[in-house]
Amino acid sequence: MSADHAPSSGMRLTLNIWRQSGPADAGRMETYHLDGISPDMSFLEMLDVLNVRLEREGREPVAFDHDCREGICGSCGVMIDGNAHGPEAETATCQLHMRSFADGAALTIEPFRAKGFPVLKDLVLDRSAFDRIIAAGGFISANTGCAVDANSTPVAKSDAELSMDAAQCIGCGACVAACPNAAAMLFVGAKIAHLGLLPQGQPERSKRVLAMARQMEAEGFGSCSNYYECEAACPKAISVENIARLNRDYLRAGLTTRD
Amino acid sequence: MNNRLFALATSSIGRKALMALTGLGLIGFLVVHLAGNLTLLAGSDGAAFNSYARTIESNPLLPLAEVGLAALFLAHIVLGIRQAAGNREARPVGYRQFQSHGNRKVSTSSMLVTGLIVLVFLVVHISDFRLAARHPQGLAYMVHERMRQPLGAAVYLLGVGALGVHLWHAFQSLFQSLGLRHPRYSPLIDKAGRGLAVLLALGFAVLPVYTWVASPAKAAAKAPAESTSSAVSGPHDSSPAAATPSVTKEPR
Repeated sequence: MSADHAPSSGMRLTLNIWRQSGPADAGRMETYHLDGISPDMSFLEMLDVLNVRLEREGREPVAFDHDCREGICGSCGVMIDGNAHGPEAETATCQLHMRSFADGAALTIEPFRAKGFPVLKDLVLDRSAFDRIIAAGGFISANTGCAVDANSTPVAKSDAELSMDAAQCIGCGACVAACPNAAAMLFVGAKIAHLGLLPQGQPERSKRVLAMARQMEAEGFGSCSNYYECEAACPKAISVENIARLNRDYLRAGLTTRD
Repeated sequence: MNNRLFALATSSIGRKALMALTGLGLIGFLVVHLAGNLTLLAGSDGAAFNSYARTIESNPLLPLAEVGLAALFLAHIVLGIRQAAGNREARPVGYRQFQSHGNRKVSTSSMLVTGLIVLVFLVVHISDFRLAARHPQGLAYMVHERMRQPLGAAVYLLGVGALGVHLWHAFQSLFQSLGLRHPRYSPLIDKAGRGLAVLLALGFAVLPVYTWVASPAKAAAKAPAESTSSAVSGPHDSSPAAATPSVTKEPR
């Protein structure tokens, strides 16, 4: 990139970025040189700077997904140097800052890869497979009615904690991206635990786990080989205990449901 | 009902559970097999081992047990290969760069490879001792003859080594696949699994090592019997006690 916008100050970076014009394009890595990057910029702001420069030069900007930029919407995940969401633990791509990288670093930026997450353009995925898994049963369909008194439905503290831990899942797909088998077990396990640990989730518990697991498989995600890469990559540190719970709930439901 | 069971058994979670159950059954078999093997260490003439073998072989239910065991192996192998193939399909385009941060060890990522090595070893092992014609001097003699050949011993050590690496990951993994995980017990299961992997691998490795290193007494006791054996074993009649030093001393 031209250096006239940002003289010598700031970080210099070499970016190797996956470029793919559309789902049918085979795609390729392209290299960009960028300088004048502040270490206090977020990773996505650094990509914004790149895109502004690309547009000024009349070139196609790099497409990447983002929304909240505060680590809760789950839309921004990319692979950075082979790490889902980059090198910092428990940090979504949007919460990653350039101070995590050395001045002069060469970064490899790729989309999450999975059969269930086809690339639409550059770093943007079609992650609607997760929506379809949720639609298959990741909800509680009882009418809520009026707000009930607090404590009218007792929940054990340990169950509430485990459920809330699982409910932190933002559906970003980093678990799929990091899994050698591109499995979505941690995502589905988190939803199963989140709903299945609460009293309100009990009536549909068996139906839910069977339907969500069936949809997970239909979307082409792999199976769990217990590498636990998912837990390490998860920006919310969701535990693989939830995968054991998914296995347990699924086997129990498969063996015992009567309908 | 049957459709439901079929759907359960063929789902990816169900297949993993079946792999876990068949694997657990196979681990049980290995423990019993090792216990039987170690009777070779009782006494120098292999009588305990031969009588153990005869007891098993005279049991009329043996064919049934063998069919069951073969089914366990076959199911475990077919499910494993099927699972690996499906997992490969789940990521058609790979990464240029990937860094592991998980629980991935050599044992974890080599499950298919170590499994296939054990499978090849299994074929060799069955043809050596189950399908081969029984030597008149008994099974212990056949084991001794096989293990004292460097190639024979090497194949066995490779086979049990691959088995040990396979089990290093397998034991704790099978609990996870069956949904049995708890912060209090899982660390113990991890340790127990690694301990079991080491014990089984070392236990099975004892036989070739023992034959090479510590069997002069056994060979001496065998010598009179061996003189009556066929000409095939003639050149080796001098026993490993004689063969081993000649290998190590020659270069000096």
